[in-house]
Order: sequence, then structure tokens, then C-alpha cells
Amino acid sequence: MRRRESAPAVAITALLALCAAVVAFPRLGERTGPYGEPAGIRTTLVDGGDLLGVSVTFFVDHLSAVMLLLAAGVGLLVQIYSVAYLAGDARYRAYTTIIQLFLVAMATVVVADNLWMLLVGWEVMGLCSYLLISHHWELGPARAGAVKAFLLTRIGDLGLLVAIFAIGQTFGTYEISEVLSAMASPDAPDGLTWIGLLLVLAVVGKSAQFPLHTWLADAMPGPTPISALIHAATMVAAGVFLVARLYPVLAASAVTMTVLAVIACVTMLLAAMFALTSHDLKRVLAWSTVSQLAYMFAALSVGGYDAGIDHLLSHGAFKALLFLAAGSVAHAVGSTALAELGGLRAVMPWTFATATIGFAALAGVVPTVGFFSKDAVIEAAWHGIGHDAPVAPVVAALVLVVGLVTAVVTVAYAFRTWWKVFFAADPAAAARLAEARSATGRSYEAPPLMVGPLVVLAAASILLSLAMPLHPLTGLVTTVLVAAAGWFTWQTMAAGRDPADLLGPARRAFDRELAMDVAYDRAGTAARGAGDVVVATDRDILGFYPRATAWVAVTLSKGFTKAQSGNAQTYVTVLAVGALLLAGLVVVR
Amino acid sequence: MNGLVVALVVPALTAVLLGGLRGMVTDRVAARAGVAASVVSGVFILAAWLLHDGGGYAAEIDAVWVRVLGLHFHLGMDGISFPLLLMTTVLSALVCWALVDDPPAGDNATPALVALIMVVLSAALGVFASLDLLLFFVFFELALIPMWFVIARWGDPHDPVGRRVAATRFLLYTVIGSAFMLVGFVTVWALSGTLQIPELAARSEVLDGGWALFAAAMIAVGLAVKTPIWPFHLWLPDAHAKAPTVGSVLLAAVFLKLGTYGLLRVLVSVLPGPARDLAPWLGALGVIGIVLAALACLRQSDLKRLIAYSSVGHMGFVVLGIATLTEIGVAAAVFASVAHGVVTGLLFFNAGSLKRRFGSAEMAVLGRGLYARMPALAVVLAFAAFASLGLPGLAGFWGEMMALRSAYESAVDSGAGLVPAVATVLLVAALVGVLLTSAYFLRLLRCTLQGVPTPHDADVDLVGSERGIAAVLVVAVLLLGLAPGLVVGVVEPSIPAILGSAR
Repeated sequence: MRRRESAPAVAITALLALCAAVVAFPRLGERTGPYGEPAGIRTTLVDGGDLLGVSVTFFVDHLSAVMLLLAAGVGLLVQIYSVAYLAGDARYRAYTTIIQLFLVAMATVVVADNLWMLLVGWEVMGLCSYLLISHHWELGPARAGAVKAFLLTRIGDLGLLVAIFAIGQTFGTYEISEVLSAMASPDAPDGLTWIGLLLVLAVVGKSAQFPLHTWLADAMPGPTPISALIHAATMVAAGVFLVARLYPVLAASAVTMTVLAVIACVTMLLAAMFALTSHDLKRVLAWSTVSQLAYMFAALSVGGYDAGIDHLLSHGAFKALLFLAAGSVAHAVGSTALAELGGLRAVMPWTFATATIGFAALAGVVPTVGFFSKDAVIEAAWHGIGHDAPVAPVVAALVLVVGLVTAVVTVAYAFRTWWKVFFAADPAAAARLAEARSATGRSYEAPPLMVGPLVVLAAASILLSLAMPLHPLTGLVTTVLVAAAGWFTWQTMAAGRDPADLLGPARRAFDRELAMDVAYDRAGTAARGAGDVVVATDRDILGFYPRATAWVAVTLSKGFTKAQSGNAQTYVTVLAVGALLLAGLVVVR
Repeated sequence: MNGLVVALVVPALTAVLLGGLRGMVTDRVAARAGVAASVVSGVFILAAWLLHDGGGYAAEIDAVWVRVLGLHFHLGMDGISFPLLLMTTVLSALVCWALVDDPPAGDNATPALVALIMVVLSAALGVFASLDLLLFFVFFELALIPMWFVIARWGDPHDPVGRRVAATRFLLYTVIGSAFMLVGFVTVWALSGTLQIPELAARSEVLDGGWALFAAAMIAVGLAVKTPIWPFHLWLPDAHAKAPTVGSVLLAAVFLKLGTYGLLRVLVSVLPGPARDLAPWLGALGVIGIVLAALACLRQSDLKRLIAYSSVGHMGFVVLGIATLTEIGVAAAVFASVAHGVVTGLLFFNAGSLKRRFGSAEMAVLGRGLYARMPALAVVLAFAAFASLGLPGLAGFWGEMMALRSAYESAVDSGAGLVPAVATVLLVAALVGVLLTSAYFLRLLRCTLQGVPTPHDADVDLVGSERGIAAVLVVAVLLLGLAPGLVVGVVEPSIPAILGSAR
């Protein structure tokens, strides 16, 4: 372990986390909800002027505080974890620097009052995730995944760009707090549907929602701790944050919220099915992130503002835990393919125990934080049917049904994955594992620097429950559902069958993730084809006029060359003809 | 003492001295003299700007030169020209600095090359500072000839025929374009009886009607070749690809700006009425340029050609901003021009470093895994690529953003130049262009910087002046990217001088 490089990296990250904590803690108490006069501290550092409107202004409220603490906490744990995980990596220093930039960018997003400043942080995060996903840039999948992540999120970023134009035009300001004030005043502008839809496009890209969801799973070739950072605390969480930050603007339009709800429903179930049929531990977790983010959007779309934020926080804790646990599995086994795992319960007790808490939270088992926050989402949908939600009751009902179905599927895939990783389902894999273990004679369990963050996050995944509300009735319903689904999955697995096979012939389609990538590949091919046409046009058609000019010039000069034959008789003849012509002209006039 | 005159005379004198004494001056001394002259020019420009008490033009000088023609030696700078003037001196200093470690081929050739660069510098400063149409034209042409020599004599050493063809094509395109522009200027003079730009811009009764439109169209064609606007861009990929590094940098950073600056100064401000008629055409061609250049870039295999084509796209944003005839559009044009100079300068310096090492800028020759083979160069290249694709927080973004915003504002709220329907189409097409721009730069990074390293004997990381130049430009990119208000604040008060009667 190279302490000389790792110590400053961790120290700087700790300092960033400390700053975040200092800014965030005083604001934690004031939970005010999305509507009304913005309650937060506004600071202006640089005023950008009227024309440009790019100011450096900060707006820190309860929401910023929660996001800051989440990002700083997970970021610090990831940095500590990486000291051991990436020990001996040649590019460790670049890696840690980019993580720090990543955290600064996320902090910029959550504390910015000026929308341009927010956009800077927003896209710098895109850059950082590009760089981190392609950390192993010798590998083809890492390069491809990074490019895909950047381009698909950039589609969303352009939506945000135009949304900011529209906000500036509608509200006459680029300051979030002033926009929120305007929304709280009686004469709030209307006709916000387009702004809302553009913002939805932005978060669909950033948070990998349908139909731009494919990048997140392809981002898996990056180092595993990075996945924890991207999936739990930064990048994808920024999408949820943006919806929460500008909630009144989005909620003003039922169309926007309905679109958001439908996208969330489609994504939620689709991603859960992908997770169920996946063959790779990290890919399962990636799809589960997409699915859980959809829960947050679903909650926000039916008016469950607090539920959405709570689930973001809770998911941040347990997903970071799961990814870091997956990292320690990958560290030990050298692979995350489910077929090569199994029986790790005995050899990796700490990882097993903490990952179990993580999977339980993902499935929504009492008393983990996932149970409480997921119930809050379900409760919000239930509440939205009867009460004054931003969407029609039927949409809220859809969210409720899809949310419950997805909860069942989530239990199935969480159990399936947990079982396949930690219990010896496959005797061949167990034998291979035992052989490898006796050959190297080393322990499988991760080093303390990796186990430490796991334990902290496991504790958080339980203790955060204390901060969550309890909804006894929905809690009872979901617990029954979870128990039934869990028991059923267990029976299936114990009988030696893969629950994914229950899908029957549909499984093959889900295995290919519904071939959604084909559309993007086609777009790429089309662009390259169009590029060929443009190059050919430049060469063969537009190139015509320089060639034509050259031809004219050459022909003319040949003509003049002939004229200058040096023959005095020709000259005199031409002269005489000319004189005659001139004389003729004069006479005619 | 007039700061602008000094700024013009110092490089001109340097050129004369170096040209005259070229047998006696060594390479290094010549290159350093070029750096010094550029810096002195820049300092005088900066001082003249800072000492200016606001209002009117800074360092204005107006002397009758040829009474019969109404030609005045009329110089001055405002917020539109000052950023470009300063950027020109900075880039010229860096170009000369690059020659310290990388002298051109030939026995003691640096003095001659630096002399030519100094002529270009002086002429370019003259263009940006001219407040007389004919003087503008004279400087505009003056910058051209030395560039021909730079490309034809010191261009790609592996392709003597190709570089001469490229140089000649560049010269012919621009000269023919300038001929159109001269016709336009003469028409303006015939219509109004004056060549003085401030006087023309301040006319209460704008020039309008058929002849004015004719004049505007002529001027627009001339500037469209220089900028370049699609479909007049064909000279550019060849000229950039065959020019030596100094030539590519000067072409991209300075020459193209002569065109965009001209669009503002001698088209929009002088002929506001006809400019409004031409605006939709300009805007459409600009956006066509953005999209088509990006598509062409997807298929380029030569790094220098790729950067050259990307310039067409970036200039498309500038033209789009100008075509909207909005305040934010003018600010976009100036900001994007400056940012493009810095960012594309950095890209070309990098491409030049690679070409010097490998003898070619073909991606296949460069090989893969440059991150491992030359870390500093690779990181700078990646940085410049992200700046060029418009990552917020770096220089390239704000110009693009303001241009798009000007299109958006015209789409929502009928702007002066574009009707909403046209502006909407242009905005959407330009956004597609932004996405394609990201795609081709990522492809470039993927094909050269990443991948399994293919070591080569010529693998040497940035050395000597290359490091210094990269550092200066990286700082400039960050400064423009993090504090865009610096430039926009300078530009903003002068926008009425351009749009004064157009709105």
C-alpha cells in the first residue's frame, strides 16, 4: 500500500467532507417541504450581470444539507475503501483526484442558487463519471461504456440547457431561490409544461431512466467503488435532486408529472426484470439502482416529496453498501459473474453479514431503512389516489400497483443474487473456490480498510430507520408481500431452479435487455454514414468550384499563350481587325 | 502616444528588422524577438484599454490619408475588438515561443518566419482596430500574403506539392472573396459618401434598398469565405492540415476571427437593414455548418483535419449568434471567437507536437494508449477536447451557450434577425450538432489516448516551450470558463455600437 499517495487523498476528501458537514448541519433541522417561500441561506459571491446572468450564488436549505452529507459521507468512505481496493494500481492518483473533483461538482450542484453554476457542476459530474468509468482504458468495454455514459447523459444535459433558457425567459432570473419565490407568490407564471418536460428529459438522462437507461449498466467496467459513488451519492442522485429542487415548477403542470410518473413506472418494473435475469452481480446492482431511482421519481410525481427524498437517502446508504460489498467480492474472487460466485458466506463473514443487511434493505425487509423508505413511497401513491396529488388518481393508482409489483420482483432478484453469491448453489463453483483458497492460502475476507466502510454503511442502513416515518398499514401490506415473495423465491432456489426461468420464453428477451441498445447503435451507424456523405460531398461536389475555377484559369491562360505566338503577322492582323471593328462601331453610332 | 499605433508599429518594425538582418540573427534570438514584440503589443493594447475613460473608442486616432478616396487612417477599439486584439497578441507570442524549441526547416529560417508572423500580427491587429472600411480592407489583404508563404514554404515537409496546392487554394479563395467584399465597400461608399465605420453605424437614416442589399451580400460573401461559412469552407481543412503548427494556430485563432469580426463590424453595424434580410440565410448556413462539420469530423482520420473541420462547426455557432441580431447573440459571437482562439490554439499546438514527433497526424500513425505513452500531452489533449466540445466550466461552453440562447430567445420572442419558426429549427439542429461534437471528440480520445498502448520510438512527453504554452492556454481556458463575465462585461457596453440601429 502506498501510504505516500493515499494519505493525502483521504485527507483532502475528509477535509471536503468536513466543510460539507459544517455547511450542512445547521440546516438539517429546518424541514420545510417544497412549497412556500424558499427557506434557506442565500449567499452571493459574484454577481454575473444582467446580460449573461452567470453569478456565483449559493442557496443552502434542508435538501442541500441532506444531499451534501450523503455525498460527503459516501465519498469519504469510497476514498478510504479505495486505498485498499486500488492498492498497487498505477493510476491511483488520477483516480482519487477525479473522485475529489466529482464530489466538488456534486456539492456545486446541491448548493448552487444560480442555474448556470448548477449546470457546470452537473456536467462536470458527467465528465468525472466518463473518466472514472474508463479508468481501465485498455479494456474495450470500459471505453465503450464511458462514451455511452457521456453521450446519453449529454442528451439529457441539453434538455437542462434549454430548460434553463426557458426558465430565464419565463421568470426573468437564473436564481433558483427567486424562481421558487415567484412560484410561491400568488401571480406565479403559468404555461410551465415545456420547462417541466425539458427538466424531465434532463433527469431521464442523468438518472438513467427509460429510454436513456442503458448507460448505467454499461458503466460497470469502472472500478467497483466508483459504482458506489455514482449510484448512491452523486451523478444519478443529482437527477432526483433536480426534480426536488425545482419541484413547484414541475408540479405546476399535471402533464409533466404524469409523464414523469409513467416513465418512472416503466423504468421501475423494466429495470427490476433486467436485474432478475442478469448474470452478473454488478449488473444486478446497476439495474436495481435504475429501478430504485424510478421509485423516487414515482414518489415525487404523486406528490410524495418527503418520501422521494427519504428513499434517496436510504438508497444512498444501502446501495453504497451493496456496491462496496460487491467490490470486496470482486477483490477476492476476481470476477462478479454470478456463475463464478457462490459459497462465499463462510469465507467472507464480514462481507456476508453487511451485504445481507444491504440486500434486506433493497428488498424492504423490516427493520432496515429500505423498508421504511419504500413504504413511504407506496403510502405516497396510496395517498395520491384519494387526495390532491399533482397527477390524476388513475395515474397514482398505476404508480401504486406498479410499485407493489416491483417490490415483489425486487425481493425475488435480491434473494436470488444473495443466494447465488453467498450460498454454494453450484457445486463446481464451490470446488473451484476451495481449490483456489487452498492454493493461495490467504484469507478471502477483505482487508480492514475495506471492511470498515462496509460496517459503517451497514450500521447506517439500520440506524437511518430512526429518521424515517412509519406507515403501519402499508408497512403491514408490504411486509406480507415481501415475506411471501421471499418464501416463494427461496422455495424455487432450494428446488434448484432459477427464479428468472419462471419468466418462460420472455426470459430470452430480457436477457438481451430488450435489445434497446440496437436503436442507439443504429443512430451511431447512421451518423457515421451521414459523415461519409458529407466528406464525399465536400470532395466531389463542393470541390467542384475550385476545380472549375482552376480549369477556367488554365484554359484562358492556354488561350493567351496561343495569342502570344511571337508571330508579327498575326499581331498585325489582329490589330487591323480590331481597328476595323472599332471604326465600324463609331460609324454605326 | 497612441497605444494602438504602437501596438501595430512594434511588430511591423520587428518584421522589417528581422527581414533585413536575417543573415545575422540566430533562430533563438529571432523567436524571442517575436515573443517580445507580441508581448509589447499586447501590453500597449491592454494599457490603452485600461487608460480609456469609457465612452466612444479607446485609443482612437483619425487622420486623413488619401483625401480623394475619403480614406482615413482611423483606428480605435471598443469592447468588441479589445478581447480579439488581446487574444491575437497572446496567441502570436505563443506561436513565436513555440519556434524557440521547434525551429522551422531550412538553414536559419526562423528570422524569416518570425518576420512573416509579425506582418500577420500587425495586419490582424490593424483589421481589428480599423474604423475605416478601406483601411479594414487593406489590412485584411495584408494579412493574407505572408500566410501563403508560411503554408507554402514551411508547411507539411512530407508533402511539398500538397502544401503548395493548399496554400494557393487558401489564397485564391480568400482573394476572390475579398474582391466581392471590395465591391461591397465601394457600393457603400457610393451610397453614403463615407468610409468611416462609426459614422456609418450612427446614421439616423439606415442604408436600405436594393443597392444596400447588394453591398451587404457582397460583403457577406467575402467574409463568409474567411469565417468560413458553409459552403465556402473548403480551403480550410487543407490549409490547416498542411500548414506548419504556427500556421494552423494563426489560421484558427486569428484568421477566422477576421471574418467573424468583420460580420459584426462591417456588415451588421454598417448595413443593419440589409443585414436583417440576410440574417436567416446566415443563420441557416451557420447551423448547416455546425451539423455537417460535426458529421465530417466523425470520419476524419487526420488529427489536424479533424480540428480544422471542428473549427467550421464552432464558427457556425458564432454566425448563428450574429444572425439573431440580439445582444446576447453579439456577446456570443465575441466570446466564442475568443474562446475558439484559445481552445483550438491549444488543440493545434498539441496536434503540432504530435506531428513533429511522428511525422504525421494520422491517428493510425499516432497509435493508441497515449495516456500511458505521453501522459502530460494526452491529458492536455483531453482537456482541450472537452473544452472544445463545450463542457460547462471551460471556455468553449459559454459562447455556444449564448449562441443557443440567442436562438432560443428569437424562437420564443421574435428576435430582430430570425423569425420564431426559423429560430426553432435552427436551435434544434444546433443542439444535434452539439451532441455530434461530443461524439467525435470522444471518438478521437478513444482512438488515440485510450486503448492498449503501442509504444513508439518517438514517444516523448511535452518538453520545454511546449509545456509553457500548454500551461498558458490551459489557464486561459479555465479563466474564460470559470469567469465568463470577464469577457462579457467588456463586450456588453459596446453592443449598442454594433446593434445600435439594427433593433
